[in-house]
Amino acid sequence: MRESDFDCPHRADAAAYVLGALEDGELHRFREHLDSCAQCRAEVAELQPVVDELPASVAPAVASDALRERVLATVRTEAELLSAAGNEADRPATSQRRSYRRNDLVLGVGAAAAAGVTALVAVLIAVGSSGQGKVAVYPGKAEAAARGAQVSLRQRDGRAELVVAKMPPPALGKIYEVWLSRGKGDARPTNALFSVTSTGSGAVDVPNSLHGIKEVMVTSEPSGGSVHPTGAPLIRVALRS
Amino acid sequence: MARLRRTSVDSKEKLRRLADEELMELVAANNAEAFEVVLERHADAAFALAYRICGRRSAAEDIAQEAFLAVWRSGARYDRARASVRTWTLGIVHNRAVDALRRSGVHERRRAGAEGIEETLQATERTESEAVEKATSREIRGALDELPSEQRKVIELAYFGGFTHVEIASMLGAPVGTVKGRMRLGLGKLREQLQGWETVGA
Repeated sequence: MRESDFDCPHRADAAAYVLGALEDGELHRFREHLDSCAQCRAEVAELQPVVDELPASVAPAVASDALRERVLATVRTEAELLSAAGNEADRPATSQRRSYRRNDLVLGVGAAAAAGVTALVAVLIAVGSSGQGKVAVYPGKAEAAARGAQVSLRQRDGRAELVVAKMPPPALGKIYEVWLSRGKGDARPTNALFSVTSTGSGAVDVPNSLHGIKEVMVTSEPSGGSVHPTGAPLIRVALRS
Repeated sequence: MARLRRTSVDSKEKLRRLADEELMELVAANNAEAFEVVLERHADAAFALAYRICGRRSAAEDIAQEAFLAVWRSGARYDRARASVRTWTLGIVHNRAVDALRRSGVHERRRAGAEGIEETLQATERTESEAVEKATSREIRGALDELPSEQRKVIELAYFGGFTHVEIASMLGAPVGTVKGRMRLGLGKLREQLQGWETVGA
């Protein structure tokens, strides 16, 4: 029998597969089947481009500036962290630096934080030669209640921004609040309140001057924020002052 | 280091002249400015798709944000031989939006029929005038509209509603095989239309 005469019984699954409509078990089996069935592979190859066009059928909408800014704030911070690591990684060979994976670095910061490493040193990076000033990136430390969270504080031209990833969402009716400390036992409230996305990302401007500040902290507070912290910090970022 | 952090207006303009695929090579090398141009080009489409699927602005923003961070972080995995940057990005948006929908109570209620199938199929809000749309969007929507309604319905429930064919079968009270068949027929017809445009356009 020639292959074209043989009608594979699974061929009917190809359309549901490209539409993402197979059930979990079926999906697994169909993927395995694809490895061995040229007919189904051809069917998928034929229908996938059609599904790829479906997004163009939706009503147009405009992404907000806030969305773009949040994405770019995180991306710039990560690029800076990587670039800082890149300088270190430059020494052995350039090719090694190229293979440096951004996730490894960011995860590394998180792992160090989880392990309770506090003696992380701020990294100062000169930004180009265009006189844009310097960016300081201070890695933060996540306490047990925010285990696995990745934190960094980014400071440029007197502006500071706190960026978190993999942070658990605040409990119902709660919000995260940023506090500034000049020393032990001292925690001044800020109006920087934030939440995180469903996957734990968030970024917030720290509105006050960081002059003389030793530590930036985050606590979970009732919506609207508090004047005095109602719980222990979830995040601490030590500043070099 | 300087070669990776050109921040002048000049370099931004140069980046804007690059094709998506070239930008992705720079993104894979951690170039945040190249990523910014990718974001400029595809943010609206990504948000619109997420919004169409989950129907809520805040959830759609979360999904678009996470999808673009995934593009940034996994830029090195982009393979230009497999898909355009836009298709790849929107594929990530689609996966995340459907995952979010399946996790959410909204989906549970819709599945139980409390919100009705018709409502599931409606775009919640038309945000821009038709004039802004590209011809291709109109054509694709036109092609969808021309499908027999039972074929269009199963395609939309699967792709935009995030329902499996088994769920769709129970919602419509149709046999599972029938639903798969309608998917196949509907996509086949759309494919013919698409090929027709390519021929005409060439």
